[in-house]
Amino acid sequence: MARGINKVILVGNLGQDPETRALPSGGAVTNFSLATTDSWMDKQSGQRQDRTEWHRVVMFNKLAEIAGQYLRKGSQVYIEGRLQTRKWQGNDGQDRYTTEIVANDMQMLGGRGDGGGGSASYGGGGGGSYGGGQPQPQQNSRPQQGGGQQSAPPPMSGPDDFDDDIPF
Amino acid sequence: MARGINKVILIGNLGQDPQTRYTPSGGAVTNFSLATTDSRMDKQSGQRQERTEWHRVVMFNQLAEVAGQYLRKGSQVYIEGRLQTRKWRGKNGQDRYTTEVIANDMQMLGGRGEGGPLPGAPAVSGAGGYDEEIPFFDDDSPPF
Repeated sequence: MARGINKVILVGNLGQDPETRALPSGGAVTNFSLATTDSWMDKQSGQRQDRTEWHRVVMFNKLAEIAGQYLRKGSQVYIEGRLQTRKWQGNDGQDRYTTEIVANDMQMLGGRGDGGGGSASYGGGGGGSYGGGQPQPQQNSRPQQGGGQQSAPPPMSGPDDFDDDIPF
Repeated sequence: MARGINKVILIGNLGQDPQTRYTPSGGAVTNFSLATTDSRMDKQSGQRQERTEWHRVVMFNQLAEVAGQYLRKGSQVYIEGRLQTRKWRGKNGQDRYTTEVIANDMQMLGGRGEGGPLPGAPAVSGAGGYDEEIPFFDDDSPPF
């Protein structure tokens, strides 16, 4: 019996190709960053402004394999999952916490393009940096895995590695 | 026009009383930690295991005032909002990132109790074991 609901729904575009690895158990794990953009009216200037948020998404097993095979940088995707925060050790030996979306459902959107900018849903929005362009994670204060960050969180090592670690 | 969906839905219990502050412009900001617990069958042991996840929730303005007034440690609440990750500076000068749920809707659940820990509510000590105190969301003019 669940004593709570922990649900996340995202529709966004991949910031880079997904990274898929094999687990010791034989299962697959896939990681990628997903950008969601919404726009809002700035009251002071009266201008419409864009706000991009970056999310770290992780998938396991069958879903991980499909994502690794079909998703590419720029792909538009629907993700359903739950929030999970895990602890890791920074270069300085201090504890860090990273929040990820552990996906349990996915729908590929935006047609059958290869994700390089063919979809009409991005690239023409003004101010967005998709459409085959380079999303700028730094501008959005979001660490990208594998992006040369000095102290980036290590990829998640398995679906069950969190139970004992988080000191809550 | 939105070019994406960023939606979070949580039902959980507060780990401590909410903290409400006021920005220089007069708007309220309320922070609290919310625990969601689910259980699953452990394949190896065949035992049912519980897993508790902690979420940092932030509210602004009217919603922040209502939450500060009515929610207490242990209160059960439905939260709807969006994920937001912000950067802050740790003690040693390094950049840190914290992901929060910016709530835009809330429903109080679990009856009219004054919010003592519910029988099923997980026991907590503080905001959930973070070593370094994460500064509060201090943007004076949240972009809503």
